[in-house]
Amino acid sequence: MNTSLVNDTSRSSVVDGHGGRPLSVSGALVRRTLLRVRRMPAAFVPSIVMPVFQLIAFSGAFGAAVRLAGVKNAMDWYVPLNAVQGASFGAMGVSFGLINDMQTGFFDRLLMAPTKRWALIVGPMAGSIARAALPVALVIVIGFLGGMNVPGGPLAIFYVAVAATGIALVASAFALGLTYRMRNMGAATLTQFAIFFTIFLSTSQVPLSNMAGWLHAVARVNPMTNVLRLARQGLLGDITWNDTWGGLLAIAVMLFVSCWFALSGLKSLEK
Amino acid sequence: MTAATVATNHVAPPRSFTTAVHHTLRLTQRSVLGRLRQPAALAPSFIFPLFFAALGSASFQRMSKLPDFPASSFLNYTAAGAIVQGVLFAATSSAGDLATDIEQGFFERLLVSPVTRTAIVIGRLGSAMVVAISQVFVFLGIFLAFGARIETGVVGFIGLTVSGALLALAMSGLMSGIAIRSGSPEVVQGSFPMVFALLFLSSSFFPRQYMTGWYKTVASWNPMSHVVEGMQGFMNQPLDVDQFLRAWLIPLGIATISIMFGLRALSNRLAAQ
Repeated sequence: MNTSLVNDTSRSSVVDGHGGRPLSVSGALVRRTLLRVRRMPAAFVPSIVMPVFQLIAFSGAFGAAVRLAGVKNAMDWYVPLNAVQGASFGAMGVSFGLINDMQTGFFDRLLMAPTKRWALIVGPMAGSIARAALPVALVIVIGFLGGMNVPGGPLAIFYVAVAATGIALVASAFALGLTYRMRNMGAATLTQFAIFFTIFLSTSQVPLSNMAGWLHAVARVNPMTNVLRLARQGLLGDITWNDTWGGLLAIAVMLFVSCWFALSGLKSLEK
Repeated sequence: MTAATVATNHVAPPRSFTTAVHHTLRLTQRSVLGRLRQPAALAPSFIFPLFFAALGSASFQRMSKLPDFPASSFLNYTAAGAIVQGVLFAATSSAGDLATDIEQGFFERLLVSPVTRTAIVIGRLGSAMVVAISQVFVFLGIFLAFGARIETGVVGFIGLTVSGALLALAMSGLMSGIAIRSGSPEVVQGSFPMVFALLFLSSSFFPRQYMTGWYKTVASWNPMSHVVEGMQGFMNQPLDVDQFLRAWLIPLGIATISIMFGLRALSNRLAAQ
């Protein structure tokens, strides 16, 4: 794959005369991410199993609490949460992959490639969407098997996918930024902690109205609350612009900040 | 130490009871020190249970107002679950250290030294118990500071401490057996989902009476539910013999089987060498 990526890049250099086309470089990096999944399935399996197990565990254990809050089926509440969390696991894969590339020296070769720097960030980010597709799809299927309601119709599933994709991108850009700076396995662990705490300090378990004290105050200002509202709206009732725009805005802002974090990390690495 | 001495010691390690106790205590001490020197490995077994307890008590406080809720507050309910969670995480991590010892060759050095064989396993289990007791102290201290109450008073406190120690003995025995059989930290970490499932498919985080369907059936069959409910009894109900039976005898029974499993794994490993 290393050779094919280099070949892809050099072919592009010949075509446009002044460096590899960024999108073809990004495409090659996506293919590299998927190849890593195929070569090391043991590292990918937990990111499929964990969201599914959590979905079953949460809806089984805490189902009564969300039903008390007026949710018809616990799956309606926990499918979007676990889809978003499952998507975010791809970020750990991005971080591990990057660390591996740094240790083997492959990343240095990428830095010498005649292409735009942002292509080196967009590639792994797009790869994280590819990695997220399977766990998110599986969580939705398990949700349907568990009797998930979809009053919002197909658009409800679309918004679950939008939220999951958005978080996969945000988490992977954050993971890249952190890995460029730390350059060791600690970056993957920290990424995991950051995602874990951001998701759980929101309306992950129960609606805002059911929360008490400090958690209510934190969840209200946590952008993840808006993202989960966007994802859940079609499973809990009708889809409205009121429940949509906040989530889209939260994703856009987090994406902007995390991409800046990744780009500045890459620049600091080159210095 | 010459090769001849090594060979002699390997064949006939000292077997007096006092020596065995002495070796066990020294190995326990070494293991505890090893754990304290790696705060990053020990921290998750303190941070995550406390985080989940804080999250649960802020999220599900409303549930505790229901008439049939088994505790006066969700914080009181979740204390036992947090202890169990912390103990299980720490026991897995301790077995991971044992597997690392095997991988890095320290275990082999122990085997050629005049150390009682059982002390190698029991010493490790002893350290898991010491960590578990410290976890119970820290967790209960924090819970009490945030307004939790132990309904059974000092006896309940002792009951919870002993239960935590016995559970650590049971789980670290099982995990140590896996570590000795495999000799691989990855395999020990790979068995973590089993611990996770034991914990989540039980009443550690939520009362069983609110569960429904197959999930409730699984939680009712899960021995961890009964251990946790015994411990919750110490926290939330008047003193009763049932609390001791569930919180002490079940972990003790599991510990007996798991220690046998661990020693058998050691015996097999020695026979294979």
